[in-house]
Amino acid sequence: MATIVAAAMTSHAPNITATPAAAPEQRGHFLAGLAEMRKRLAAARPDVVVMFVNDHVQNFFYDNLPAFCVGVGARHWAPRGAADFLKIPSRQLPGAVDFGKALLKAGLDAGFDLAVSHELEFWDDVSVPAHFLMPEGTLPIVPVLTNCVAPPLPTPQRSWQLGGFVRRFIDARPVGERVALLGTGGISHWIGVPNTGHINPEWDRWVLDQVRDGHGEALAELSFDDIERDGGNGGQEIRNWIAVLGALPGVKGEVLTYEPVKEWLTGCGAAWMQL
Amino acid sequence: MIESIGADEVAGYDLSAEERAALADGDLDALFRLGANPYLIRRVFRRRFAL
Repeated sequence: MATIVAAAMTSHAPNITATPAAAPEQRGHFLAGLAEMRKRLAAARPDVVVMFVNDHVQNFFYDNLPAFCVGVGARHWAPRGAADFLKIPSRQLPGAVDFGKALLKAGLDAGFDLAVSHELEFWDDVSVPAHFLMPEGTLPIVPVLTNCVAPPLPTPQRSWQLGGFVRRFIDARPVGERVALLGTGGISHWIGVPNTGHINPEWDRWVLDQVRDGHGEALAELSFDDIERDGGNGGQEIRNWIAVLGALPGVKGEVLTYEPVKEWLTGCGAAWMQL
Repeated sequence: MIESIGADEVAGYDLSAEERAALADGDLDALFRLGANPYLIRRVFRRRFAL
């Protein structure tokens, strides 16, 4: 069977790379956390990374908007159209076709009906974390996308279940892959709304406390309205963290960094799960 | 990535007068109140945000 050899979560935000001169002290602290995560990820020697991420209405529009989708392409753009804005050179990350297709099939058999895409283009959701965590661009990724930006959204409880399903899939794999789980998004941020730029460090720290203490269920019990009130519309991306936690119930985490960065419009945290 | 929107670009769409006015004016609050997706508001009118 395959083995989960690493699991982590981090915020993503376009301004981390788009405005590198902003908030230099906080940027330094946050990127030091990602550097530690990169070191640990490399030491875990994964064969594939399942990335729980979300679209920002660049792949999916209102004519076709899946709640969940798995990317099974041989390559994933990260970034392409947003390269100039993100100040990250356009590149393609390798996919894991067989793993992705097997995950899709297992989901359908288990009543977890994921949508599927053979071609995906990522923005800060994948591009920014990968820029710092997987700069070599050689580690295959399987993106699992959740609709976090166009309500109505899947419930956090469903994201927890998604993580549990992925865990069972990995445990049942006939191939002995070493699998890493990485969730990106959040923590609190208000984007494109009248109070754009607001951050709620108190809520962010509560979220990180739950991760640290192995209380992922507390995050899964949040409602859309809870998150919208305390974490903002951008906080809905916490579903990607919840999916990782759902794969590892009871496992405690280590908070690697937290910075509420006004210039990035985001409460930025990163955590490593203590497997 | 587009960062503005003109009247000619929305001419063919089924929009109310209020919606057209909000788009033409870049009235972010009105666009949000009228139900536009915040991520699209942010993307199209990025330069109009103070932040």
